[in-house]
Amino acid sequence: MLFNLDGTKPIYIQLSEWLENEILNGNFESDQKIYSQYQLAEIFNINPATAAKGLNILADEQILYKKRGLGMFVANSAKEMILAKRKNQTLKRLVQEIVLEAGRLQVSKEELIEMIKTADIGEAEK
Amino acid sequence: MSVIECSGLTKVYGGAKALNNLSFKIEENKITGLIGRNGAGKTTLLKIIAGLLKETSGELKVFSEKPFNSLQVSANVIFLHDQMNLPTALNLKELLETAASFYPNWDRELADRLLDYFSLNPLQHYNGLSKGMKSTFNMILGLSARVPLTMLDEPTSGMDAAVRKDFYRALLKEYLAYPRTIIISSHHLSEIEDLLEDILLVKEGKEILHMPVDILKEWAIGLQGKTTVIDEWTQNTEVIYTKSIGIDQSYVVVRNHFSETEWQRARNAGIDLTPVTSSDLCVYLTSKTKGGIDDVFNKG
Amino acid sequence: MSLTKVSLIDVVKKQYIYKLKAYSQVFMSLIFLQLLAVLFSMNGVGSMGGSTGGSVELQVKYFSADFVAAFTMLWGFITAILITTKAYRNDDFVFVTNRVSSNLSNAVFLLTASVIGGITAMLSSYLLKVIVYYFISDLSIKSITVLEAPMELLLGIFSTILYVFLFCALGYLVGTLVQISKAFTVLLPAAFFGTLILEGLSGKAGTVANVFDFFFTESSLVLFIVKIIVSAGLLFSGAFVLSNRLEVRG
Repeated sequence: MLFNLDGTKPIYIQLSEWLENEILNGNFESDQKIYSQYQLAEIFNINPATAAKGLNILADEQILYKKRGLGMFVANSAKEMILAKRKNQTLKRLVQEIVLEAGRLQVSKEELIEMIKTADIGEAEK
Repeated sequence: MSVIECSGLTKVYGGAKALNNLSFKIEENKITGLIGRNGAGKTTLLKIIAGLLKETSGELKVFSEKPFNSLQVSANVIFLHDQMNLPTALNLKELLETAASFYPNWDRELADRLLDYFSLNPLQHYNGLSKGMKSTFNMILGLSARVPLTMLDEPTSGMDAAVRKDFYRALLKEYLAYPRTIIISSHHLSEIEDLLEDILLVKEGKEILHMPVDILKEWAIGLQGKTTVIDEWTQNTEVIYTKSIGIDQSYVVVRNHFSETEWQRARNAGIDLTPVTSSDLCVYLTSKTKGGIDDVFNKG
Repeated sequence: MSLTKVSLIDVVKKQYIYKLKAYSQVFMSLIFLQLLAVLFSMNGVGSMGGSTGGSVELQVKYFSADFVAAFTMLWGFITAILITTKAYRNDDFVFVTNRVSSNLSNAVFLLTASVIGGITAMLSSYLLKVIVYYFISDLSIKSITVLEAPMELLLGIFSTILYVFLFCALGYLVGTLVQISKAFTVLLPAAFFGTLILEGLSGKAGTVANVFDFFFTESSLVLFIVKIIVSAGLLFSGAFVLSNRLEVRG
């Protein structure tokens, strides 16, 4: 339904990313209770164990914390942590792809750095 | 507590082993998919768990009791399948009332509302229903009974796509509201895999695999590229499936126990890495040969 | 979800009620067979005639429920076999059951069927007499009223019920044997008719005739009741024990 089911990204990862977006959008504030695995299962039509896995990823990264018997809550600096993580991951991945592609096209690292330097940030942001 | 504990289960039918030394455990309140080809022994297994058949050898305990001829097991297990024939003298309404008398957790309102939603006429008789409607009625029976171990064998036979979707949704909602142990055997793994927690894959009466669906989805990986390169990379790995593409390329499926860096090197070497859907993986794991049906045509 | 605990009595009760509805077609065939028997009885179940003095001819015909009772016993036998067949037996396994409860509820069902069959069989004698009186002219009936011989009627009903139940027990055992092995479909009739023929040929009083006498010519009521109950009990127990290992196929 809402997930990309072609198998490229596991559902629990897509779920954790969706939850991160919810936090970034401000739908959940710090120390607010986030959806339970059962609510997520109901919303996304998936098994609650899968939903729990998605929640646990964020708990492991301390974006969420568990209160015994009460559920999962949004950590204090969750928003910042998510932004930092995204920056590191997304950017890192893109950089890797550029390097790989450059390698295939036989563009040297120096050429690549030049290309980056001359890349117009203004152009990119449009 | 394990709801079902099975070890060395064997069932022989006139010389052939329908179940061959099968062993597994099913934990409480999980939804498990029982997957396998026709004739793999799924229905036989479910019938033995339900106490309808008796095992030839091996141990089976359901709720810590032997299921054959056990009233306690029968009261806590409901088994719905498409070969079921309900008494012809009773109409649907009377059948639901009978179920209500046998199952203390029966939800009368839910049953009536589902009957209405799927446009089944309560005054109709079971044997006058089409296959899809029979399956729908079986589903209403199974869900409304709220039995601790609910087993559904090919529950969607004959159902059209819309009804199938509704069925999965109804099943999930019921499970979320009133958790219970559920086993579904189905040919449509791709449709139900989001609903499942675990998968038990069976081939020729033996368990091949029993693991959470999430792990299964990452259990294997597909490699495509030049045959020579692929062969080099898969020298020491078990190949699950192989298919040749064009003149010098191949697609193989192998166990995914390589690290991220190794995969990166593979990509650098020109190999395309793709995930394998659980549905395809189960097909490959249960086929007779590594090449599947193509081997039939490739011989000679 | 917590487990349910059930008692055997509870399940047997629920199954019995279920069967009264699910097996209700057998009562249709009961009515049909009994009406057929009434038809056959219209010419009298026995007669005697004679003439005195050349000008008066007397013919006495006996109208009773004998035929109907016999047909009802046959019906009991067949119904019992019927409910041991797959289609009926498997009905229990859709819901909550084990083989013991299934057999017990079947036995209670057959008892009920015997009671109904016995009552309707005896009452059919009145139906018969009414039909004969109205549709076959120049007959005078000796007695029709219930009030004249209530004890006889009750006794008739009671003994018919027991006879039918006995045949049910026999049918149930036969049916169970057939379910265990199809070979019995041939073996049992062969044994039965074989015994009849052989003994008939040898001119001796046969086993079948002896069994017949044992039940049908018992004069003491108490002894009769005991004989039937013990025999039916044995037949049913035999069937119960044998069916305990039966699987539910198909």
